[in-house]
Amino acid sequence: MNGKDQALIVDSTERLLDVLRDRLNLKGVKEGCGTGDCGACTVIMDGRLVSSCLVLAVQARDKRITTIEGVGTRENLHPVQKALMKYNAAQCGFCTPAMILAGKNLLDHNPTPSKEQIKEAISGILCRCTGYYKIVDAIHDAAKEISEARC
Amino acid sequence: MTTIADLEAQEDDSAWGRLLADAVGKFGSPNIRTVATIGGNVCAASSSEDLIPVFLVLDAKVKLIRRTEAREIPLQEFLVAKRKTALHADEILAEVSFSEPSARTACSFQKLGMRNTLIIALVSVAVFLETDDARSTILQARIALNRLKGKIPQRAERVEMELIGRRFDEGTIKSAVDRLGDELALTSYFRVSAEYSEEAVKVLLRRALSDCRQRILGK
Repeated sequence: MNGKDQALIVDSTERLLDVLRDRLNLKGVKEGCGTGDCGACTVIMDGRLVSSCLVLAVQARDKRITTIEGVGTRENLHPVQKALMKYNAAQCGFCTPAMILAGKNLLDHNPTPSKEQIKEAISGILCRCTGYYKIVDAIHDAAKEISEARC
Repeated sequence: MTTIADLEAQEDDSAWGRLLADAVGKFGSPNIRTVATIGGNVCAASSSEDLIPVFLVLDAKVKLIRRTEAREIPLQEFLVAKRKTALHADEILAEVSFSEPSARTACSFQKLGMRNTLIIALVSVAVFLETDDARSTILQARIALNRLKGKIPQRAERVEMELIGRRFDEGTIKSAVDRLGDELALTSYFRVSAEYSEEAVKVLLRRALSDCRQRILGK
């Protein structure tokens, strides 16, 4: 759980979303629909994006989970976080944690994605405010920043 | 249990590998692919399940197991009606299997929904084509639509007959698409009208056939 082992006794009907928000107090994971349609509850589970409302807590046993709380710090933001700010790519912010996780997971696997690949990576997360373009541009920019930092 | 994301991670250049890649590429979204499974998709048994037309054109069988025994039946037989399969109460779907197609085979899957992604199939078409070594005559053709005459995916056998034995050219593709028009018996429902579906599915069949032709010639 964001790099630290957690041991919890959960009910068999609890969703991962419920455990994250209510038991572990990770309010950055949002419940947008509860039916797997919107992606606001996205977390990274063993290197893949997943909607936490579609995962039973018991299915997350022994898995590595990253939520937005595990991405960057106030002093040291992740490049995707910095880029979203630079591009003004958040309005209400409800989809933003999910978008950041999608961007980070993509760049962890593919450091030089095309814009098509970025659109694909965020395709499971709905945004009602921004129209998506700035989010895509921001993630693309973050990729450049990461590869430039490596040189 | 194999998830769609597991399938996506296996890159296979064979005819069936590319067919599965076509389907998983348009399957839900990355989030959904992480948890959705092959078995879940097949057992849901409706026109919305993308893997069903794909497995139908691969002539797939399903293996159903209970505590002490197993049985294997063709996928079409497994699909009884909309959201109803041949599973007994104490059985689970364990495997979907199909024979390896020959080298002169190409497949394609086309799907149309309301958006580019995160879509339910309004119409979808899977095609399997095998030609002779000269790549000019069609030896085997299998076509499955998410809806043909009812509410579940089916093979369009009369359209298949239209293709088998013929030269693989534009004229043949056109005949097949026209023949499909005669075979369709779709009804309107809340997502899409019959008129729209009937037009759209012909376009998808044409695209799938052309795609197969490109893939066969490209090999």
